[in-house]
Amino acid sequence: MKGARNHQLDRRTLLKLTGATGLTAGMGAIAGCIGDDDGNGNGNGNGNGNGNGVDRDDDELTITLSQFPDTIDPLDHITGDYFDVYDHIYEPLFDFEPGEGIFPRIVEDWEILEGEGATELSIRNDVVFHNGDDLTAEDIAWTIDRTVDPDIGVVSDIGAFGLGSIEGAEPLDDTTLEVHYGAAPGLAEFEFGNYARAMNMQWAIDNHDAENEAVSGADAEDFNGTGPYEVVDFTSGEEIVLEAFDDYWGDEPPFETVTFNADGEASGRVNALETGETDLTMNIQPTDAGTIQSADDVEIRQVTSFRNIFCPMKNTVEPFDSQEFRQAMNYAVDNEGIVDTILSGFGEARGQPVAPGINGFNDEIEPYEQDIGMAESLVEDSGYGDVEIELTVPQGRYLNDAEVGETVADQIDQLDNVNCSANVVDFGVVSDANSAGVDPDTIEIPFYLIGWGTITGDTDYGVQGFFTIPDNEARTFDDEELSDAILDSQQIEDPDERREQLEEVNALAHEKAPFLFLHTQESIYGVRDDIQWEPREDETIYIWDMET
Amino acid sequence: MTMGKFLVRRILQGVFVIWGVITIMFGLRAVSPGDPATLMLGEGATRELIEHVREQEGLNEPIYVQYFDYLQGILVGDFGYSWISHREVEVMVIERIPATIELAVAATIVAIVISIPLGVISATRRNEPADYGATMFSLLGISTPNFWLGLMLILLLGVWAGLFPTGRRPVGFGPAVMTLFQTGSPGDLFTWVHYITLPAITLGTYFTALITRLTRSGMVDELGKPYVTASKAKGLPGVLVRYKHVLRNTMIPIITVLGLQMGTLIGGAVITETVFNWPGLGLRLIDALGTRDWPLMQGIIVFIAIGFVTINIVVDGLYAYLNPQVRDE
Repeated sequence: MKGARNHQLDRRTLLKLTGATGLTAGMGAIAGCIGDDDGNGNGNGNGNGNGNGVDRDDDELTITLSQFPDTIDPLDHITGDYFDVYDHIYEPLFDFEPGEGIFPRIVEDWEILEGEGATELSIRNDVVFHNGDDLTAEDIAWTIDRTVDPDIGVVSDIGAFGLGSIEGAEPLDDTTLEVHYGAAPGLAEFEFGNYARAMNMQWAIDNHDAENEAVSGADAEDFNGTGPYEVVDFTSGEEIVLEAFDDYWGDEPPFETVTFNADGEASGRVNALETGETDLTMNIQPTDAGTIQSADDVEIRQVTSFRNIFCPMKNTVEPFDSQEFRQAMNYAVDNEGIVDTILSGFGEARGQPVAPGINGFNDEIEPYEQDIGMAESLVEDSGYGDVEIELTVPQGRYLNDAEVGETVADQIDQLDNVNCSANVVDFGVVSDANSAGVDPDTIEIPFYLIGWGTITGDTDYGVQGFFTIPDNEARTFDDEELSDAILDSQQIEDPDERREQLEEVNALAHEKAPFLFLHTQESIYGVRDDIQWEPREDETIYIWDMET
Repeated sequence: MTMGKFLVRRILQGVFVIWGVITIMFGLRAVSPGDPATLMLGEGATRELIEHVREQEGLNEPIYVQYFDYLQGILVGDFGYSWISHREVEVMVIERIPATIELAVAATIVAIVISIPLGVISATRRNEPADYGATMFSLLGISTPNFWLGLMLILLLGVWAGLFPTGRRPVGFGPAVMTLFQTGSPGDLFTWVHYITLPAITLGTYFTALITRLTRSGMVDELGKPYVTASKAKGLPGVLVRYKHVLRNTMIPIITVLGLQMGTLIGGAVITETVFNWPGLGLRLIDALGTRDWPLMQGIIVFIAIGFVTINIVVDGLYAYLNPQVRDE
């Protein structure tokens, strides 16, 4: 009986405790609300205040990306927000200027070794890593080799299997090395400009996780580059804080502290900019541009990027095996109208595979202009009248991609002799279609929308993956004439002659219409208006280009 | 049935539920469109590179081999490596749990503080304006989508009024309390409260409405019972009768719902964390979805399932302890 009574009491005690917890919680919440009222928020030292009266520190900068670069290896990804962060820690060997080529940076001088398929690079002798080690030619040679040699142990996937023409490198002494490549030196130079960043060889080997086959980590000290900034705080998936590196060989960077964070939601990035929680953000949606333009102290800055949006048509299956039909698809669509309405003007209609500013861009080629009569006539000539086709469109990958794709399909469908529908899918479906090759027995999706950034600044990167045969199994178009034109350009040593050949490649691509050409996307940024900075075509943000 | 047997049965059921979740997740991965290797590498990847990554990640193995390898790993606490950051999945999950728990607990606190007094007032002033107001509030709370409420709060109180930050979590509750004890400065704690207020209100609103309705109906039932009349006849003050006797008896179903909803809150925090860029498990799940980081996605779902099942077992256990008849049902 006594036990039973105790049991009952225990249950009552539990109920009392529950009530007490609720009361305590309520007090806590009230205390919290009281805390809010004193305007003392944001005491975490993150710098930029949040509209509660905290002044901005002109020596600090916060940049909000759309995706957090959650890796410590600078050679882990090809493009994206990663370079915006990692180029400041692991600086590029060269300064790459879109449309102009490469200029000295860590590499002070370089000499093409005629007829040897090699270039000798001379590097500065005053460059040190953040851990205090000197940068040597051996570090650079090893860094290049890990992108091309799968047997090196600390492999970097981005270039390990044929991306680019670079074949390897060897150190000659502490400050010179020789880089070997299998194409024209001009093409190799564009590739140096994009891929080359130096890692500390011994440090990377020591930090390599063999089981995981990666250089991985989650602490500030896991980073070790030669850039103008070193990492002082890293919270995986949230924030990376950089501070100016005292022993940097070059000019002192314009901000002492730079914080990178990320918000996958476009509206969240805009809100953070409006409230002063961030100073610069990217991938602004056209629909949000007006909000930023009407806000105080911030503004929109934009640039026509290197990213073209288009719809490949695989010519090993009907009806896309007909050049007339492919051209008809181009005449059916009003590219200018799509840019004006769906992209609110943030784009440029395009009629060739690459954007202006890319080496080999042909400025005599105009976009196809919508001509319904011509399109219907070409469809009849092709022999595919009354055909039914489907355009597969990704959602959320490119600027208003689904809306663009649906409009394209609708405009094609308005032709009297073609029925076209749009199928909006996850990007993975499109990604698979793009790498599936041109075997007619295995093609499931012959017509889809995709985007491509020509990150090296050279037409070769924008066309060879799509059009070269026979070794390129992931090509989307089978045409010997176009392929030969590209392969020929890879071996031309004279830069001017090579550029002219690439212009020919673009003209040929326009005529053969392997794509339904759409537009070049604009990169739209929201920026604090007192920051002097112009966005770049290659989508990279360099803090050393900024001033306040 | 003894309490021990009851708990063992519940735990066994929980293990099967978690195994089911793992199997379904693995099945979804197998039937989802998009080769994980091409998704990982992006548009520029060559066929050879894709093949290399498939080999490296074991994606060329038959699906049943991948499944049993994964199960075997989980049994020893190895959830694999993230395809993006190359870090251990279990570490990436565990480091995000505090933020999600903070948010779930704060939302629960918001709910308790508002809903119980509101439910009591509504029940004791039936068919009066206060009751209509509370009923209207709970209807609104149940009907309002989380994401919309969050966006409105950000717009009104964050962007326009400038009272609250629009998102992020610059400091955790634990470190903030540590700072308070170490330095005596409550600054970080205030910052934490400042940043969590809007997400907690957003996440807690539906819950608040639910508990308000539950408290009201429970109180109405109890107020009609003879012991209430007897207590009043004895001369006990109305407040004492309502809060000490009636509310206490109403608490049992509320505790059950509280416990179950804690599990729901952890899962449901996905939307709130995304809207407020709150770095919890939900946001990490969305990030993993965006980059098709399947090992991380699977790991997070399995951890959420484990959390949900554990909370359910604890609540069931408490309920069985408070009401022994439940064990034999």
